[in-house]
Amino acid sequence: MDLAKYAELFRTESREHLAEIDTALLSLERDGDAAHIAVLFRSTHTIKGMAASMGYSGVEQLSHALETLLDVMRVGARAHDPDAIALLFDGSDALSQSVNDAVAGRGSMLSPAVVALLERLSSAVDLPTAVQTVAVPDNNHIFGAPMLPQDFGNLELRDTVGQPDTSVAEKIVEIRLAPDASLKGVRALMVLARIEAMSTVRSIVPPQHTWNDDTFDGTFTIAFGTSKADDAIESSIRGAGDVARVTFRAATVARSERETLRHVRIDLRRLDTLLDLVGELVITRDRLVRTADGLTENGADRVLAGVVHDTSRLVSALQEEVLRTRMVPVGQVFDRFPRLVRDVARDLGKDITFVTEGREIELDRSLLDAIGDPIVHLLRNAIDHGVESPDTRRRAGKHPKGRLILRAARDRAAVVVQVEDDGGGINRDAVLKRAHSQGLVDADITTLSDEALLKVLSKSGFSTAAAVTSISGRGVGIDVVASRVRALGGALELQSVLGRGTMFTLRLPVTLAIVRALLVRIGTETYALPAAHVIEALEYDPSAVATLRGQETVTLRDDVVPLLRLRSRFGLDAHSDEGTHLVMVETGGHHTALQVDSLIGQQDVVVKPYDGVHGAETLFTGATILGDGTPALIVDLGGLT
Amino acid sequence: MGSRTVLICDDAIFMRTMVGDILQAAGFEIVGEAETGVQAVERYLQLRPDLVTMDIVMPDMGGIDAVREITKQDPGARILMCSAMGQQALVVEAIQAGAKDFVVKPFQPSRVLEAVNRVLAA
Repeated sequence: MDLAKYAELFRTESREHLAEIDTALLSLERDGDAAHIAVLFRSTHTIKGMAASMGYSGVEQLSHALETLLDVMRVGARAHDPDAIALLFDGSDALSQSVNDAVAGRGSMLSPAVVALLERLSSAVDLPTAVQTVAVPDNNHIFGAPMLPQDFGNLELRDTVGQPDTSVAEKIVEIRLAPDASLKGVRALMVLARIEAMSTVRSIVPPQHTWNDDTFDGTFTIAFGTSKADDAIESSIRGAGDVARVTFRAATVARSERETLRHVRIDLRRLDTLLDLVGELVITRDRLVRTADGLTENGADRVLAGVVHDTSRLVSALQEEVLRTRMVPVGQVFDRFPRLVRDVARDLGKDITFVTEGREIELDRSLLDAIGDPIVHLLRNAIDHGVESPDTRRRAGKHPKGRLILRAARDRAAVVVQVEDDGGGINRDAVLKRAHSQGLVDADITTLSDEALLKVLSKSGFSTAAAVTSISGRGVGIDVVASRVRALGGALELQSVLGRGTMFTLRLPVTLAIVRALLVRIGTETYALPAAHVIEALEYDPSAVATLRGQETVTLRDDVVPLLRLRSRFGLDAHSDEGTHLVMVETGGHHTALQVDSLIGQQDVVVKPYDGVHGAETLFTGATILGDGTPALIVDLGGLT
Repeated sequence: MGSRTVLICDDAIFMRTMVGDILQAAGFEIVGEAETGVQAVERYLQLRPDLVTMDIVMPDMGGIDAVREITKQDPGARILMCSAMGQQALVVEAIQAGAKDFVVKPFQPSRVLEAVNRVLAA
């Protein structure tokens, strides 16, 4: 808007008001009639409004300070004594000067005299909150809103008291006002009024009485019961104006009395115990099936076979149900990340749009608890080293705002969680150079595939080298993430394109409680190899073994694969009693042949957490108790190979 | 349909001119102006405009009382409050009195027109 044409109008009208101010001040000094204060207030206020419109901030500040003092006097919170009147005269003079300066184009800086006057005015008010206290009505009653409990914790209680109308659905809606909206508190009240018109409001966060505070940022959440559809609710809310975003939160509370009865709270430890018991039952079932098979083969006991079959089916169904009770949507963990990403990005001066996908995908709760830290790690890495600064992005022809996606998805029997950024990607040359100098890869290797890259980054020696972060743009703590994910029976994958971005994928079992395992014997102990990684088991043939570049290999059909003798890897004597079998496993796309003393067989095992020796590198991801009561360690195949 | 009619109420010619320019540029017809609350009520009843812009602080009956008076006579009146920063509580009161929306000085034409459209759509 071209303001120049209004400047003359501003000056003329301001002068009229300044004259009116002087007249009123003289009258006030003479007769002390408080009615003059109202005139003073109005004129000052008018000048303020005009100055704000013209962008004359000096005039605006000064008139605002005068107005504040006058308002305090108007409501009787400060006497109009000679001191106050003298101050107002000074103020009027300064205001007159400021108006002239502003129109003449000299209004951008406050003169020292005006600054001093502003201080005198503000100390004269002395009751910084007086204006607000007097003028602000009790907002709890403004739109006839009932007094409300201000947190959602009480919701459940209220609902169980009876909500017979089942057509009423509970909604929790987060409303974000446009960042540049004026008087956000008032706008929020207008939104609330619209919601109240179509629902019964249950709760408001932050409390309504804080909406007029300076700290209110225009984001608030309202819980209410309504029979209206979400679109209708949203469009009504948006109709209040200045609404930037409306987000429907899952109403985690019970929806009606009838539904409340369908839910009970269960101590998590009970759920864990139940799972353990089911696990044992599953294992015992397997033994029962094997035993019965033996019997029926011999004596052909049809009745026994039938009972065993039915029992087996029921145990499977029970196992499935128990596992299902433990499933929770990943959204429960994902929801803490937007704030984290915002804070980290702000600290590092990055501009990032953060997107979460697949919040509804379910995982066993113990898994969900365990993946929180690795995700935090990957997100931080992506913000710190992945996404470039806005300037760098602009120069690279990218959108200055980086994009960071946290995604969950089902992939056959697994759940994948991905952290994807559109940043600069990993500089393979720099990583390779560093790896060569540390002797982590052979000198003749000149390119790194995604898998090889991840392998290098996952070497603890590599990743703790502080200098690496600046050259490779990555590497810190990837070993920690990789080993955590492996400990959960999952795998970490990496895809990175220089200049385009990086994606880490956590491939996780849906539940970590029960895994299929191949049991093998090494020395006197039984070990469990997760069956997901086992390709085949075969007889060990010493003649197929050769040593290439210091690494023992075994040739199987046409493939040459590394050979790992578990006996020596586990620190047992590599005595003459050589293992009889090889187990071929696949981890991260690579095959390895493990030599074991003997094979026992496959079965489901219940995974129990295994702490190992504190702080030491561990070869195992967990432990299990076998059907006969003996313990067995579950081998960390990803870490071994 | 002819252009929408507007009554502008503000004690400052400066503000009336500015608001008038913004609305005229957007195709509104300024059918009247008022400098006081009393005038605002009178002119409203006489002109029955599609829209009223109402300053809060005016001599001779303030804007909020004028809103109350106008909506008492015509509950369907579409009134847009014009407020300055720091008048949170007064704006709340005006809305409670029947004003449909508000804009805050300094006026940005786009914001004024957004608010006007919301008021007219309500």
